[in-house]
Amino acid sequence: MSTPLLEIKNLHVRVEDNEILKGVNLTLNRGEVHAIMGRNGSGKSTLSYVLAGKDDYEVTEGEILFNGEDLLAMEPDERAAAGVFLAFQYPIEIPGVSTMTFLKAAINGQRKARGEAELTTPEFMKAVKDAAGLLEIKQDMLKRPLNVGFSGGEKKRAEILQMALLQPQLCILDETDSGLDIDALKVVSEGVNKLRSADRSMLVITHYQRLLNYIVPDLVHVFSAGRVVETGDKSLALELEAKGYADFDETNAA
Amino acid sequence: MHVQTPVRLSAAEESLVAQLESAGAKDAAERLRVVGLPTRRVETYHYTDLKTLLSAVPPLAAPANEASAPAIDIPGAYRIVIANGVVQSATTAPAGVIIGKAAGSVLTTRDDVIVRLNAALVGESLNVELAGSVDPVIHIDRRMEGEGAHVQSGAKIHVASGASATIIETISGSDAAHIGNAGSYVSVGDGAEVTHILVDLSARQAVNFATVEYRIAAEVKLKSVVINAGAHLARVNIFADFVGEGAHGDFFGLNVVDTDEHRDITLDVTHGVPNTTSAELYKQIARGRGRAVFQGKINVAMDAQKTDAKMMTQGLMLSDEAEILTKPELEIFADDVVCGHGATCGDLDDTHLFYLMSRGISRQEAETILIRAFLAEITDAVEDEYVSEALSGIVERWLKKDA
Repeated sequence: MSTPLLEIKNLHVRVEDNEILKGVNLTLNRGEVHAIMGRNGSGKSTLSYVLAGKDDYEVTEGEILFNGEDLLAMEPDERAAAGVFLAFQYPIEIPGVSTMTFLKAAINGQRKARGEAELTTPEFMKAVKDAAGLLEIKQDMLKRPLNVGFSGGEKKRAEILQMALLQPQLCILDETDSGLDIDALKVVSEGVNKLRSADRSMLVITHYQRLLNYIVPDLVHVFSAGRVVETGDKSLALELEAKGYADFDETNAA
Repeated sequence: MHVQTPVRLSAAEESLVAQLESAGAKDAAERLRVVGLPTRRVETYHYTDLKTLLSAVPPLAAPANEASAPAIDIPGAYRIVIANGVVQSATTAPAGVIIGKAAGSVLTTRDDVIVRLNAALVGESLNVELAGSVDPVIHIDRRMEGEGAHVQSGAKIHVASGASATIIETISGSDAAHIGNAGSYVSVGDGAEVTHILVDLSARQAVNFATVEYRIAAEVKLKSVVINAGAHLARVNIFADFVGEGAHGDFFGLNVVDTDEHRDITLDVTHGVPNTTSAELYKQIARGRGRAVFQGKINVAMDAQKTDAKMMTQGLMLSDEAEILTKPELEIFADDVVCGHGATCGDLDDTHLFYLMSRGISRQEAETILIRAFLAEITDAVEDEYVSEALSGIVERWLKKDA
C-alpha cells in the first residue's frame, strides 16, 4: 500500500500548562475526505493549527508525517509549499495589504519554494478569475485589502478561493460553516466539492452535521477531550446529531 | 537681581556662537552663550538633547551650484534649486507661478534654537507665489553641496485664495557632515487646496533641522506630509495655525530610523478660531539601535468652539534595541470640541505573520509585506501619482537596505 498523505501518531500537544491533545491517532489516505466532529474545546482547532504550524503549541509526544516526511520540522511556509492548506475559522484581516498582492505573493512564494517558475501577471490574473468564478466572488472584493470589511460569508469564500488557487494536497477546513447562511454554505460547499480529487485529501472540522450533507465525508472521527474516541462512516455524523456528544464522552471515560 | 550663570559651552556651541557673531546676530549669540543648546531638561527637546547629540558644527556654507541629480525626480514637476542656501535661477515659471527672492529668513520669531539659528543665519530666501489651479507639482530642491557645511535655507510659499497646488520640498546633497537648517513658511489663502510635502533625504553623515510653518485661512483644505528618511540626527518642527473658519488639515508624518540614527518630528497645531478640523497621523518605524521621536501637541483656543481634532501615532519596532518615543498632548481651552489622541507601538503582529506564512509566503517576505502595509497609509496619502510613487520609492529603498 502506498504511503498515506497524512499520518498523525499519538500526538500530544500542550498550550502553556494545559494539555489539549492527548494522543491523537489519525490516518488520511490520498483522495479521502474525513470529518472531525466534536464539541467546543475538544481540541479540533488546536489540531488544525498544529498541522499548519502555528507557534505557541508545544508538541510533547508523537509525530505527524506528511507524505512520509516529518511535518513538525517544517516552517508554516514550507508546509504550504509542500501542499498543506488551512482554511481559517477566523480569517485574519490585514489592512494595507491588497488581496491581489497577497494572492500573488502566496502563489509565487510556493512556486519558488518548489523550484517552479513564477506565474506571469496574465497567467496569475487568469487563475484568479477562474477560481473567483467557481465561488461567485466579485472582482470588487479582490480589490479590497485582505479580508478587511469582508462579511463573514465573504471571508469564508475568500479562504476557499485561496484553496482553489493554491491547489493543495491537504485541505483543512476549520469550521468553514460557522457564520454562513444557508445560501453561502451551498456556494462554499460546491466550491469545495469541485476541488475534491483523487490526489487531494480533506479534513473537515465542524460541530454540526449540516455541512456534511453538502461535503459528504468518507469517514467521520469524533473528538472528545483531546483524542479520537470513535471513527465511522457518514452515518456516525447523523447518530451524533441525534444523540449529542455526551454518549461519546462516556466511551472516552471508559 | 537675578543673574544667570552662563553654562559651560560645548565645542559645537562655541562654534555656533562664533557663527552667529560673525553674522552680526548679537542677541542670538548672547542667548546661546547663556543658555546653550537645549538639553533633556527643556520640555520640547526632552527626547532630543541637542547639547549631547550635536558634537561638531562645520563652517558656514559658501555658495555652491547644484552638483548632482535631484534626490527624487518627479516627472513633469517644476523644480527650483536652493544650493547651500542660495536660490538658483530656474527655467521659466509655468502659469500661475511667480518665483522671487527675499532677504533673510521666512520664519516667525519663536523661542526655539533651530528657528533662532535660521532667523539669524539665512541670507536670502526663495519666494513662491501660486495662484489658480497650478498644474505641475512644485519641487523645491534644497541641496547641501561640497565639503561639510552649515547650510541655512528658507522658502516662503504663498498660495492665493481659491488656488490649488502640490508642493514637495526635498533636502539632499553631497555625502558630507553637513548641518542643514531649512525654514519653510506656507501661507494658504481662503478656500485653497494644498498638499505640501517635506522629505529629508540628506546623507547619513549629515544632521538636518527643519521648521515648517503653516498659516491656514478660511475654508482651506491642507494636506501636510513630512518624511524623515535622511541624516543621522534630524529634527523637524511643524507649527500649524488655523486662522480662518471652516478649514481642514490632514497632517501625516513618518520617521524611519536605522542603526544609530535619531529622528524627531515635533508638531504643534493651534486651532485658534471656531469651526476648524484636523486629523494627524504620524508613524514611526525603527530597527537596529535607531531612535524615533514624535511629539504632537494640539492647542485649542478659548473661542475655537466646534474644533474637531484627532491625533494618532503608531510605532513599529523591528529590533530589541530600537527606541520609539511618543508624546501626544492636548491643550484645550474651549468647552465644545471633539479632540482625541491615540498611540500604539509594537512589533509586527504574529497572527498576521502566521496567516501570510501559512499561504506559502516566506517569513522575510511576509515581514516586508506587513511593513509596507504599515507605511502605505502615509505614502498613499498623496494624490499626485508621481509624487506618491516617489514617496513609496523612498520606503522601498529603506526596506531593501540591510539594517
